[in-house]
Amino acid sequence: MRVLLAILIVLGPLAGLAADINPQRAKFHYQMHCEGCHTPDGTGAMSVPRMKDQVGLFLETQSGRDYLVRVPGSAISALNDEQLAEVLNWILVEMGGDSVAADFEPYTANEVGDLRVEPLNEVERYRSQLLLEIAEQRSRQAN
Amino acid sequence: MKIIDRLFERKARSLAQHSSRRSMLRGLGGFLVGASALPLLPVAREASAQTGPTTPQEEGDQTSCDYWRYCAIDGFLCSCCGGTANSCPPGTEMSPITWIGTCRNPVDGRNYVISYNDCCGKSGCGSCLCQRDEGDRPIYRSDKTNDVNWCLGTTSSTYHCSSAIVVGLAFDNK
Repeated sequence: MRVLLAILIVLGPLAGLAADINPQRAKFHYQMHCEGCHTPDGTGAMSVPRMKDQVGLFLETQSGRDYLVRVPGSAISALNDEQLAEVLNWILVEMGGDSVAADFEPYTANEVGDLRVEPLNEVERYRSQLLLEIAEQRSRQAN
Repeated sequence: MKIIDRLFERKARSLAQHSSRRSMLRGLGGFLVGASALPLLPVAREASAQTGPTTPQEEGDQTSCDYWRYCAIDGFLCSCCGGTANSCPPGTEMSPITWIGTCRNPVDGRNYVISYNDCCGKSGCGSCLCQRDEGDRPIYRSDKTNDVNWCLGTTSSTYHCSSAIVVGLAFDNK
């Protein structure tokens, strides 16, 4: 019984996270609304940023976390709040690789709904600035 | 070596005295029940979620505009230009950036996700112009319009023809 309890304690949070994602539905929405530019595995191309193994970096700061929702491809997509939250969580789990912490806090529909009302107008400079801030934060934490 | 022998002997005896086969079964049972929870993990679930056929049964002529995969196409069919519905003609490059729609396969009645990757690098093929446009949206929905040149991410932005690749099964809400 103790062993079972221990296993459930360890796996419980992961199972809870997965329960909020319907992988088939999330993948379909990714294909219909994101994949055309971000490519099937999130590698991206040309000026389309790479998400694969990197997208989790943005969760390291609050403004970075907000950015993944406020970026126009997310904010003004035809997906509703629940669908967008699910796709974002699916992208982080499926494509984030080591850039996403195992215990990351998944997006909720309410959070996404609040953030997407302010879509970004200028993205590239904003994104560069965010990455700079994340790098500086890492540097401070390392020292 | 004797020290190691004695150490192992002591440990083995201690284990035998303080545990039972029942406790081993209990531990093993707990492990198996726990392991059964593993498919709930995101990656495993994703892998097992691909229940639909990856290459659907299909029929029809790939060089005909009526072919089921072309329901949302707008361009020259690569099948008529030295390529196929899945591949670009020699001397052209497939754009990694593309527009995506869904088409119903009449053979199994299911909807599939179709990626209309353009083939780029040579001037327009000129054969088998096909414009069916199902699901096409005005240009202000730039991700859902086929009225733009999708030769993006390729060496050349010159459009030659369009492919129609099945990339998955559409999600059915029912």
